[in-house]
Amino acid sequence: MPWYFYLALKQLFPTGRKFPFFTFMSGLGIAVGVALLVVSTSIMGGFGYEIRRMIVDTQGEIQVVAQGAISRPDEVIARVEKVPGVVAATPSAQGVVMLEYRNKPSFPAIQGVDLATVSKVIQLEKYVRLGSLDDLDDDSVILSASLARSLGASLGSQVELYSPLLIEKLKNDEVFLPRTVKVVGIFEIGHQQLDQSVVISTLRLMQDLYGLGADVHHINVRIKDGANEFEVADAINRVLPGRDQRAITWFEANADFQSVLRFEKYMVFFLLSFIVVVAALSIMSSLLISVVRKTREIGLLRALGGSGRQIAACYCVQGFLLGIVGTLGGLIISWLVIYYRDQIVRVVAGLTVGQRVFLEFYQFAHLPSHTTSFDIVVITVGSIIISTLAGLLPAWRAARLEPVEALRSE
Amino acid sequence: MSEPILSARAVRKTYQSGDRRIEVLSGVDLAVERSETVSIRGESGSGKSTLLNLLAGLDKPDAGEVIWGGGLGLDVRSTFLGMVFQSFYLIPELNALQNVLVARRIVGGIGSAERARAKDLLARVGLAERSHHLPSQLSGGERQRVAVARALMNQPQLVLADEPTGNLDERTGDSVIELLLGLCADTGTALVLVTHNAAHAAKTSRQLFLHNGVLQSAPKPIQP
Repeated sequence: MPWYFYLALKQLFPTGRKFPFFTFMSGLGIAVGVALLVVSTSIMGGFGYEIRRMIVDTQGEIQVVAQGAISRPDEVIARVEKVPGVVAATPSAQGVVMLEYRNKPSFPAIQGVDLATVSKVIQLEKYVRLGSLDDLDDDSVILSASLARSLGASLGSQVELYSPLLIEKLKNDEVFLPRTVKVVGIFEIGHQQLDQSVVISTLRLMQDLYGLGADVHHINVRIKDGANEFEVADAINRVLPGRDQRAITWFEANADFQSVLRFEKYMVFFLLSFIVVVAALSIMSSLLISVVRKTREIGLLRALGGSGRQIAACYCVQGFLLGIVGTLGGLIISWLVIYYRDQIVRVVAGLTVGQRVFLEFYQFAHLPSHTTSFDIVVITVGSIIISTLAGLLPAWRAARLEPVEALRSE
Repeated sequence: MSEPILSARAVRKTYQSGDRRIEVLSGVDLAVERSETVSIRGESGSGKSTLLNLLAGLDKPDAGEVIWGGGLGLDVRSTFLGMVFQSFYLIPELNALQNVLVARRIVGGIGSAERARAKDLLARVGLAERSHHLPSQLSGGERQRVAVARALMNQPQLVLADEPTGNLDERTGDSVIELLLGLCADTGTALVLVTHNAAHAAKTSRQLFLHNGVLQSAPKPIQP
């Protein structure tokens, strides 16, 4: 081991001292910064990942859309399912209805699914908390939990559906009676926005309500695990029969929302990275003080044959080692915080606004987290580089000291 | 006569103090033979430490030259020279043994032979039992003895000692000088000792006095 590395280690972890206070405090600054960065990017990534999972679970990775309705969906599905990377496709129709229960109206979004193929693409049954998707038929619906709660509806309740066709019929002085359907299930995805006001029906019921005939609004596509959704979407686009038909990924379908999430993540990363910079500045100031305090020792090392470059390396190594120690500590702290995040949130929420308010505000039943190796590598390498750079100025000052002046200093 | 291991020829050194130029050394000549012990005395501010720094290669003369071992380069300073300072300059984070070994670390690797030598040196300075003590756990005399062991670690041909007893009481200072002279004699190492203490100077084989920037033979002490 080079002597300057040895001495740097000894200055940080002196012989016979069980608790090196300077090392601990300097490392703690970096550790806190790294932990905050990892936790915040993981939580932000978790929100994005959860939303992606929910969207993909309920819509598939890719949707085929058209400017109007999609005619002859079977033909489109047959073409789509031949595309490499596609596992299955299912037609669906989406819109808005007025739903009334005990004279209490609501205007939820409605999604009509094809019972024969939906389970190959969309994981609806996973989110059905009460009742069963198997009970769904053309005279029944499944309500989202929030909608059921707001209406006071439960399993077995009879609700009335009014479609926008009603307005068309009224214009023609025709009578259009609402469709009475039975609630056979309550689903909850876990995201307040997705759970708020949604009705799931069969595709046939939705086609009746909207007068679509055999047409559909979308074709939802499930792709193989590991397949690139953008590449598969491009391949689908090349085989679609209609000029107005287009395959878009879940990301494009929710581009605005995803952009906001990504922007928030980068902003949080940018702002919190200043904590690491401040910690590095504190390391720099501590090492500068160390250079002043150890001026005569530096003079001695020069007298013993050490070069200015080696003395400089001693201080750079200290910054580097503090970066490693602090980053490792930060990664451990962040792992603990992420692992116990729900307990921590419960305690914090309980002490402040209350857990219910917290859940309503943040829209997730539990705090999501998704840590990517890329984020960890960037944070780890970045904090170690910043810490090493923090040792440069002290190193430069130490290297500039003339041995005679250093030995003479008071 | 053999070639001196250290020669200083017409060495001059001046310092700028405000508008004034102060000539501290104005043509110093010195030759130190192998195994010789030389003391240099002088008034405070006479330039003793400046001369020692020049002899050690830590500073450059304005004129003249310092030659080691017949023309060795600066790169061998750490193996050719050992230095002992008034203020010990032990590294506080290292124990006594590690402080002795640090002189070796700087010039090369540490193996079992080096460890054994460091332990032997500590034993010879009477600190075998204190080798794992930190400087803060040692007395002033003990610290200086560690510094002496460190100076001899690389088996130098010459030790330069700059007032090594300046921070010690008389009795401890005497024992450190005895130790230093004894170890140099045992190992055949030459010694240049800068001191204020006439009794310590008298124990060296040659006594010099630095006055008005030049080295002179020291006057004989006045007998009571």
